[in-house]
Amino acid sequence: MSGASPRAGLSGPVLALLLVGAAVMLTPMLWTLLLSVKSNAALLGDSGAALSPPYTLENYRAILADRLTSRWLLNSLIVSLGTTAGVLVLSSLAGFAFARLDFPFRRSLFLFVLLGLAIPEQAVILPRHQLFAELGLHNSYPGLILPGLTGSFGVFFMTQYFRAIPRELDEAALLDGASRLRLFWSVLLPLTVPAQATLGVFTFLASWNDYWWPLISATTSDHYTLTVGLASAQMNYAQTSGLGFLMAQAVFASVPILIVYIIFQKQIVRAMAGTAVR
Amino acid sequence: MKLPARIEGLAFVAPFLLLYGVVLIWPLLMGIGISFHRADLFGAREWIGLGNYATALADPVVHQAIGNTLLLALLIVPPLTALALLLALALNRATRGAAVFRGIFFSSSVLSVTIVTLIWRFILTPDAGLLAVAADALGRTPLPFLSDQALVIPAIAMTTIWWSLGFPVMLFLAGLQQVPADVYEAAALDRAGRWTTFRHITLPAIRRTLLLVVMLQTAGQLQLFGQAQLLTGGGPGGGSRTIVLAIFEVAFGRWELGYATALAEILFAMILVVTLLQYWLVTRREDAG
Amino acid sequence: MSSLVLKDIHKAYGDTLVLDRVSLEVSAREFIAFLGPSGSGKSTLLRIIAGLETPDGGEVWLDGRRIDALPPGDRGVAMVFQHYALYPHMTVRENMAFGLRNAGVPRHEIDARIAQAAQVLEIEAQLEKKPGQMSGGQRQRVAIGRAIVKQPKLFLLDEPLSNLDAALRTRTRVELAQLRQRVDAALIMVTHDQAEAMTLADRMVVLNERRIQQMGTPMDIYARPANAFVARFVGSPAMTLVPATVAAGDGRFVRVRLGSGAEVMTHVPRAGLADGAPVSLGLRPEHVALAPADAATLQGDVILVERLGDRTFVYACLADGMEIIAQDVGSSAVRFGDRVGLRIDGNAAHLFEADGTGRHAEAAP
Repeated sequence: MSGASPRAGLSGPVLALLLVGAAVMLTPMLWTLLLSVKSNAALLGDSGAALSPPYTLENYRAILADRLTSRWLLNSLIVSLGTTAGVLVLSSLAGFAFARLDFPFRRSLFLFVLLGLAIPEQAVILPRHQLFAELGLHNSYPGLILPGLTGSFGVFFMTQYFRAIPRELDEAALLDGASRLRLFWSVLLPLTVPAQATLGVFTFLASWNDYWWPLISATTSDHYTLTVGLASAQMNYAQTSGLGFLMAQAVFASVPILIVYIIFQKQIVRAMAGTAVR
Repeated sequence: MKLPARIEGLAFVAPFLLLYGVVLIWPLLMGIGISFHRADLFGAREWIGLGNYATALADPVVHQAIGNTLLLALLIVPPLTALALLLALALNRATRGAAVFRGIFFSSSVLSVTIVTLIWRFILTPDAGLLAVAADALGRTPLPFLSDQALVIPAIAMTTIWWSLGFPVMLFLAGLQQVPADVYEAAALDRAGRWTTFRHITLPAIRRTLLLVVMLQTAGQLQLFGQAQLLTGGGPGGGSRTIVLAIFEVAFGRWELGYATALAEILFAMILVVTLLQYWLVTRREDAG
Repeated sequence: MSSLVLKDIHKAYGDTLVLDRVSLEVSAREFIAFLGPSGSGKSTLLRIIAGLETPDGGEVWLDGRRIDALPPGDRGVAMVFQHYALYPHMTVRENMAFGLRNAGVPRHEIDARIAQAAQVLEIEAQLEKKPGQMSGGQRQRVAIGRAIVKQPKLFLLDEPLSNLDAALRTRTRVELAQLRQRVDAALIMVTHDQAEAMTLADRMVVLNERRIQQMGTPMDIYARPANAFVARFVGSPAMTLVPATVAAGDGRFVRVRLGSGAEVMTHVPRAGLADGAPVSLGLRPEHVALAPADAATLQGDVILVERLGDRTFVYACLADGMEIIAQDVGSSAVRFGDRVGLRIDGNAAHLFEADGTGRHAEAAP
């Protein structure tokens, strides 16, 4: 990161406060991790037992053996990856056109899309539930994926990114005899890879963590995503195999997004610096 | 070659616009229509005009939910914003340590609401939570965070702040990066103290970011749902029922789609009014200055 | 035979006219420079030839074929962009091959052309690099290479030197001069730098205010500027224009009276100029010499001394506030504030009528 304030190091009191803050952030996660590696029986009487050995991986073994949990994982992967791919394709096509092509009602259509940024999910979710019921889309992958493809942010984001690419490149390609499709595919799209990565990560995270819509659209446990499945397990806590198992599920469900986060951490930070604030 | 090019542009935007229209805009309009009906989830419709809105205005459950939601927004947005700004100020430097801290403070944001509530339930719950274990060790009685009317809202607020901290920190960091370093050097030459520098240099420079954070957070927290539903189910005695949770219960507990939709439209209006008010308050002063 | 022909090119952006009925012919293998200040329409004209802008009226012909309705890629022109416009994600080789592939040139032919261009431009070692890994000068060569491999009938160069530092600029000028020897095509370069245009071009086209002000060889334009704008724009330091009136007389040549009352005898034919008509006397620095203050008809106070080493330009302010630039030897001892005499070489002076039209000395003295 460039442009940091002149004083480089962290002063003593600030560092101390940051360490306390970091402890507050990490302790809950650590606690969850500890609970997940204790046997359910050991936690039955006193969850404080989690603070001392013996530790075991039996909860994780149980999850891998659990048909429903792996099914939920698969559902989450299909829905999140499908949503991400769809958003990237739709946003890139639309962003390219809004930034570079001339067509009837271009400005009005762009404003119409921007309007979507101001519409909260609440105002749409119940009638959409109704609409999808009529179309027979509930308890299906399209039913879970389609709502995620209507976000205006991706189109806005990609339009801004395409706009930032110098027009000289388009002109060079035109003189090189490239068609518009070729210009899009061979010249401009490869230059948007950083933006694709950023938009992709955010879309994946949002889709993976989405709760409200899958909760009401997927009503049979076979179609739950991990997020919804875990919620159902949490609410039926009394019927689950126990605290340790539940916590192991939580850890298990977080691993994919934590991996995505760690891989793309730099991308996330850079993207925010570049686009979120103008 | 002119005509095809103009059609070509439309072809590029058509796939998105089609989905956007059918899956977002159409339901939005449908919702406004449904809110004027007595309607259930299974298709029965009866026009009652503003009947649902009148019912909502007189409904004590709705009053309570609106009160809870506003209280939650008030308990979450200001501390979250201040905390995020302080963290960003402390972490706006290019050292390895700052990078590690940035990673830690953002890490909770990638978790889903289900995981977050699962984690916090077993911190807060008085029979097996971490806080109870700690209280036991100190010989105190654990506080019933999730079942006491007075404690449940602060408990949900705390959980939410823990979960939501990362994103505003990142936005503030991005905003701070835009402030040119030479402005700080000039301020130092002018013997400006830390507070003066912050008040007169940093704050005006990140004013837009501040507005963005507050608007996004307010709009988001007014729609708080998962934490309340999963941690407490809106209890005890509706003490933590938010507007969205009320909408959910009315729609999927009582099947009253028309009434639930009307509540959603009321929330939509609330969000628009509050965020536009914030925008107006900030930009108005900008125009005057 | 003419290579490029522009007929009555007309272009407006909304209500703003940018090109007003511009016509032009370029011979085969000719190097033309479009020279003008920003906003003069020179870039628009280049982009219309390339097909990046559509004219509102007029025709563009290249090698006997009308091209103004063709897409840019089908016109047989290649362009070197101001900021090079290299594709950042492609290697140098891919950059050069892109256009050829789009045109369906066979693979072995593409390879051969790239190899030859790379050899000529001495970028063989960089073929597998990406533009981001190269210096500004190398990128410039790649941009030229990308144009060469297309074997166009016309090269278009948009401010090709403006992004280079002074040292590189000189070297690239040499390369551009060599380029025109190597290729069998006409070249058009857009520039706002008159020195560049004069150095490289066979003919210059000076544009201003939406129109061609003058076309001609560099020396012709320098020696016989068609109007006051061209006179001021071409040449550095710029020609001084001193307000004057035509003095009464009946000789073959015009005598003018300056504001200070001093008179200057020129070698400009008198025909058509009325006595007392307001004119401007145009003086290049090399036609004004310094003299002892009391030995000259014109005196001024020195306000700036610009030393170039081999010669010195002396900016002097006359009694009536007019400024004149004189040229002196490199070792000139003149200093700021000195009062100097100015000796005008009337034989070389130009006259500009009130509407700007230039009149020039009949023959070299």
